[in-house]
Amino acid sequence: MAAGVAAWLPFARAAAIGWMPVASAPMPTPPPDNRRKQDGLILLNVSGQKFQTWRNTLERYPDTLLGSTEREFFFHEETNEYFFDRDPDIFRHILNFYRTGKLHYPRQECISAYDEELAFFGIIPEIIGDCCYEEYKDRRRENQERIQDDEDSENQNDMVPPDMTFRETMWRAFENPHTSTMALVFYYVTGFFIAVSVMANVVETVPCGTLQNRVKQVSCGERYALAFFCLDTACVMIFTVEYLLRLMAAPSRWNFIKSVMSVIDVVAIMPYYIGLVMTDNEDVSGAFVTLRVFRVFRIFKFSRHSAGLRILGYTLKSCASELGFLLFSLTMAIIIFATVMFYAEKGSSASKFTSIPAAFWYTIVTMTTLGYGDMVPKTIVGKIVGSVCSLSGVLVIALPVPVIVSNFSRIYHQSQRADKRRAQKKTKLGRIAARKSGGTSAYLQYKSNGLLSDLIDEVTVDPSQALVCKANPMFDTHHNHLLHCLEKTTNHEFVDEQTFETSLLEVSMAKHPPHSPSLSSGSSSQGLSCCSRRNKRKSFNVPNSNMTGGHRNSIQELSTIHIRERPITNSRSSLNAKFEETVPLNCKQPYITAAVITLPTPPVTTPENDGSASSPDYSQANIVRVSAL
Amino acid sequence: MSSCRKRCKREMFKFAQYLYRLITGTLHADSVEDELELSAVRHRPEGLEQLEALTRFNRKELQILYRGFKNECPSGVVNEDTFKVIYSQFFPQGDASMYAHFLFNAFDTDKDGSVSFEDFVMGLSILLRGSVQEKLNWAFNLYDINKDGYITKEEMLDIMKAIYDMMGKCTYPLLKDDTPRQHVEIFFQKMDKNKDGVVTIDEFIDCCQNDENIMRSMQLFENVI
Repeated sequence: MAAGVAAWLPFARAAAIGWMPVASAPMPTPPPDNRRKQDGLILLNVSGQKFQTWRNTLERYPDTLLGSTEREFFFHEETNEYFFDRDPDIFRHILNFYRTGKLHYPRQECISAYDEELAFFGIIPEIIGDCCYEEYKDRRRENQERIQDDEDSENQNDMVPPDMTFRETMWRAFENPHTSTMALVFYYVTGFFIAVSVMANVVETVPCGTLQNRVKQVSCGERYALAFFCLDTACVMIFTVEYLLRLMAAPSRWNFIKSVMSVIDVVAIMPYYIGLVMTDNEDVSGAFVTLRVFRVFRIFKFSRHSAGLRILGYTLKSCASELGFLLFSLTMAIIIFATVMFYAEKGSSASKFTSIPAAFWYTIVTMTTLGYGDMVPKTIVGKIVGSVCSLSGVLVIALPVPVIVSNFSRIYHQSQRADKRRAQKKTKLGRIAARKSGGTSAYLQYKSNGLLSDLIDEVTVDPSQALVCKANPMFDTHHNHLLHCLEKTTNHEFVDEQTFETSLLEVSMAKHPPHSPSLSSGSSSQGLSCCSRRNKRKSFNVPNSNMTGGHRNSIQELSTIHIRERPITNSRSSLNAKFEETVPLNCKQPYITAAVITLPTPPVTTPENDGSASSPDYSQANIVRVSAL
Repeated sequence: MSSCRKRCKREMFKFAQYLYRLITGTLHADSVEDELELSAVRHRPEGLEQLEALTRFNRKELQILYRGFKNECPSGVVNEDTFKVIYSQFFPQGDASMYAHFLFNAFDTDKDGSVSFEDFVMGLSILLRGSVQEKLNWAFNLYDINKDGYITKEEMLDIMKAIYDMMGKCTYPLLKDDTPRQHVEIFFQKMDKNKDGVVTIDEFIDCCQNDENIMRSMQLFENVI
């Protein structure tokens, strides 16, 4: 019920007095009226812009922020108003919703910002009024598509998860030729052979001069029959191999077989095989010749290589109804004009319009303004009809064409937008990476400069940080301190990417054979228990699962890993001096899944029979056994 | 004959005009002379002081009432369709249009086809702040559709059907077709003292004042505003 109508409830209740005399039963008691408190004005200050409304207006919707007691959280005593640190422009629409009961969507606002505001104020977007609902849904869908696109291409462009099977790699190579060089080579080779095959088909029919004892011209195909046959064989070989490879690699073979491109592939290579089988049979060789026509379908294989061709095909498919209408109206007009023409020209002698179907040809040629001139009307009536026919032809054909053109334009621009987004994505990812690396390098720099100097790192800003705008030095200080705390907690340190990758390679080279599972599991359980007992012992859950996710498969059989701490070579030496009491487990080394690392702390060297004993001298070389959980 | 010829001439002239427009490209008859759009009826109510005098509401209550009224009807008057729409929103499961029609007639005291704010507020004043006598008077006025001072069985049947229509179909127990009629019979048995088939205002008021239930229910909506 609209909010405004709710204001008429008192009237409806009063009008109920009209029922009283006819009522046969006593009325129920009215609910207690606790609305005695005066309706007052509420002042809402949204980022400096003041809004005022009646308290009752807001309380019409008690399950939103403004209508419930939740707004008391935003009450500002000093100024006796409710302060919200949100966008005042969008708030205007939200307040209007309370006033009128209809939520409108302003077209110039960003859809995500609007959605956020709605979520903040507890209003569900489904109640947007009909006037704005379509626009809202359109924008939302576009946004979702954009997000989906980003995710999809992110998934595609990620570092290749190394555990893709050979089949998946192949399929990926087929679908995205730019992912690997082999795929690119394959792509270009097939393209080349399609072109060669098509050209051969064309050149085959060109007259190539005469043979010695014949008069008439002979086509090149007959003259160099063997050469063309070999060329054809080679091309078909390649196409067959490609098709079989795709079929093998396809994630869902049935879907692949059903797809358009696969059908085109099959139609392109079938004639050759049928021809091979059928050459010796005389009476079907006529059919064999017709079959050669299907070889021209090879040209459609180019649509894998050309996005424009795909767009054209997609446009035609989506404009099927307009095309159908065009065809239908043309047919109608053709029949009408052909009939009239036939009867008009019936009288004239030696007229070419022998029948109505014969007149079809004339009508088509005239309506499309071709005008071959092989059939011409001779009577006056016929000429009048002919002129009307050509005029109307122009009209009928011109009408559906703009629709098809606009469809094509829309789809083309959509694909262009997708390309543009992909291009922009690279710079966007670059920005994000720079920001991330700026952040981590800021922290690393901060650490290397010594922990206690907070603000010095402002001065020693390195170029990569120029991309990151440092707005808030205090924030950075606190943030750095926080990261430091995290390091202390996990007894790991943050490193940059290159060192991490090099360490990964090293560890993968130096894999140790797995220990007996019983020992390790025993050690793990005891390690855990000992951790609970010994609070001096630090047990850490290594959180960096993404670091080692790639190698998960290869270490599945590994149950215990040795982690050897490397002597610190580069700038960490100063750090090492400070972090004496902890094992500086750089992330260079570790090769850790979700594991419990039980680290012995230096002062405690009580030997435990749990396999996680540590060697006493660990300041330089600590061996920590990590049991994989 | 001359009129015939005149008419012929007029027709010829119109046809010539039509041909001319066909050639020059405008086929719409009156493209230039647009009808002057009927401006929406605007009504401004009397001042607050007069309304305070006319009704039994105080200033604040009148302000609240007017704000609600103006929100739904920006033009200042309610016509019957808007009235029906507003009232129907309170009874979504049934059809409140007939009862709204009768209500509209009851509020539209000056019979001009629209309920202005004065009508509205005066009606409400009687319903909410009036004496029992006045309320009963108002109810009688509602039932007396043709305002002739008598309630006949047909009028009462119409009202009853309108009330039952508001219930809709999904009721318990099931609404039978002659339920309104039965109810009207009961009502007339109670109200029609002299059994002449109609109920006059005095019979009505007498009977209601003697009925405990009705008296009590009249006080029900005292504090609605």
